[in-house]
Amino acid sequence: MRLLERPARRSVALLDGLATRAFGTAWNPFHQTGTVAVAMLLVLTVTGLDLVFFYRLAAPYASVVRLQTDPWLGAWIRTLHRYASGLFVAAGALHALRLFAQERSWGPRTLAWISGLVIFGAGLICAWTGYVMVWDTFGERLAREGARLFDALPVLSEPLGRIFAGEQPVPSAFFFVNLFVHIALPLGLGVGLWLHVSRVARPTLLPPRRLLWAIVAALVVGSVVLPASLGPSADPFGLAPSTPSDLLIAWWLPISERLSPGVVWAGGLAAALAAVLVPRFTRRRREASWAPSQVDSRLCTGCDQCTQDCPWEAITMVERDDGRATLLARVDASRCVSCGICAGSCAPMGIGPPGRTGRDQLAPLRDDGLVPPGPTPASVAICCERVPSGHLTALAGLDARIHRVPCVGNLHSSVVELLLRQGAPGVVICGCPPRDCVGREGPKWLEQRLFAGREAELQPRVDRRRIALLTLAPGNRAEAVAAIEAHFRRFAALEPTEPLPAGELGAVCDPVSVEEAVS
Amino acid sequence: MTTPSRWRIVPALVGTTILFGLLAWTSAVPLPFHRSEEARLRLSWTARPDRLEECRILSPAELAKAPEHMRRRVECEGRFASYDLRVEVDGRLAGEAVVRGGGLRHDRPIHVLRELSVTPGTRRIRLSFVRRESVELSTGVDSVIAEADTGLFAGRAERELAERARRRQAAIPPRLELDTTVTIGRRAVALITWDAERKTFELRTAQDRPSPASGSPADHRF
Repeated sequence: MRLLERPARRSVALLDGLATRAFGTAWNPFHQTGTVAVAMLLVLTVTGLDLVFFYRLAAPYASVVRLQTDPWLGAWIRTLHRYASGLFVAAGALHALRLFAQERSWGPRTLAWISGLVIFGAGLICAWTGYVMVWDTFGERLAREGARLFDALPVLSEPLGRIFAGEQPVPSAFFFVNLFVHIALPLGLGVGLWLHVSRVARPTLLPPRRLLWAIVAALVVGSVVLPASLGPSADPFGLAPSTPSDLLIAWWLPISERLSPGVVWAGGLAAALAAVLVPRFTRRRREASWAPSQVDSRLCTGCDQCTQDCPWEAITMVERDDGRATLLARVDASRCVSCGICAGSCAPMGIGPPGRTGRDQLAPLRDDGLVPPGPTPASVAICCERVPSGHLTALAGLDARIHRVPCVGNLHSSVVELLLRQGAPGVVICGCPPRDCVGREGPKWLEQRLFAGREAELQPRVDRRRIALLTLAPGNRAEAVAAIEAHFRRFAALEPTEPLPAGELGAVCDPVSVEEAVS
Repeated sequence: MTTPSRWRIVPALVGTTILFGLLAWTSAVPLPFHRSEEARLRLSWTARPDRLEECRILSPAELAKAPEHMRRRVECEGRFASYDLRVEVDGRLAGEAVVRGGGLRHDRPIHVLRELSVTPGTRRIRLSFVRRESVELSTGVDSVIAEADTGLFAGRAERELAERARRRQAAIPPRLELDTTVTIGRRAVALITWDAERKTFELRTAQDRPSPASGSPADHRF
């Protein structure tokens, strides 16, 4: 299954690139697939509450026709409800694809993955029942196929399909049960959603407000301009040559109808099982870059910042057993996703995944010196490992040193100071779009540490004019490279910095030394 | 965090239009359903099968062993009948099956739901539904009228008798046939169902015109 991750990554990058070109990184809806899905659930709830007042169990099709012919409170609300359901399914599927491609579907994220599948499946069933409610030819087709599949199970002795045979009018009880499922399932989705985000700190449930309203406005305008279609009424004595079908909801229908119920069940169960087992087949050994964070108890001052910054609530503060009158951070390995955000949050550099603590970040720079002394030292671009390779290639053509890090959220502010102290005219930090960071909050915390005084902050002595943060994403290469060039020119125009002797760098860049922390 | 990619109205509008167009298009794609012009003959009914059972009258000594409220005069053991379903269209066999009662023990009512493809036009339909077992039902036990029950249980034997009679009455006859001619249009459905009150099969069409299933051919057009 891990073989599929690369093509999935390429697909996601392709979609991201197209969307970034159209909307820019800040408005790219593909970075918001999860929150867009939740927003659509809200739209579905609001419009559904309105529609249910006009729905008649005894005359379902007639009541929908009446809705469809009401231009004020009928047609566009029904259309909005329908388009929102389609967007929910599309956003949910893209969300799963994105997380799979970004290797975010296993380990501590397993609960979110499984609950997400349940939410998605329940949403599909909801959509299914919603179309059946209309009782046009498409609704009848869905109902008949559902009955055919259900009748293959040894549950009911009387085939459900007889309801639609035409002996009697379809009973209101059928539409009542259908409506009940259609309304009851979304209530269950609330529980699923709670489980889905239960393991993350500060879950983001909705897109940024402006994007949210832009999406809703686009849907409303679209619903008015392009009202949803309504097929002919269901007819047990007629065979429709075609049905106006929702491909997002019922793409499987033409395939299913051609297969025996046993094959459909087997295929469906196999697909569901494969989806559920994704966390099992994509998991990594918890070592190297996937090793959970560790705490150096000698350095931990008990400041509590790592627990505040951890996006996964994987860190708690516990009593120490060495007699020091402070608390000690403890990492729950079962919740830690090795994002390394804690490494950037710890002023004394006492926590982080192995090899990625602040001290580990500083060591190679001290030893090798990324900025060799010279008359015109080059600026430095610190890039997240997930920055597209095309961007890096373009950056390589600039007069700059490139320093790659696992995530800019891991970056300890002392690294920036060190680079500047080594003589770099400036540092550009290139991260992923804030809503697309695999560490969830990396760019946000980094910005606050560098510019807003968040704990583990960049020291006041560092000239902020020499630092820039940029978002690099598929689709914005030309603009990003141009922006980086502009920053480099701006850095070069500033008065030159006085490099510190190498021996003093350690003292400057360690906010809290080991000795100080221990004492 | 600054972003070099500024929001631009034209690409954003184009992108929104494309995405929304995709959404609207996918929500109403005409998916082929019944491409061919064939018609359908749908068989759909529920009926109670005959009960094939051996009954015997319990002796007063056997009855005395049971608590008073559980004394049934007649004890029966048996099973439900199965039926041969056969459909001919214009004299050619279109479908046949053995039909049993529902449930794992086949002790539930018979539920038939089948569809057969039929070429549109005027067709002669012959349907037979015949009990496969030729076993005669137990007789003689219905004359038993016990006098022993009094008080709360008075009239129990009569009630048992009435219950057995009702069950026999509700069962589908051992042999049923429908022989009729119908004109079926393209992509139309003709339904053959069971009228439990008249104990006949009837043919229904889009006009929902019931058809007598007495065995004599009749014309149906729709």
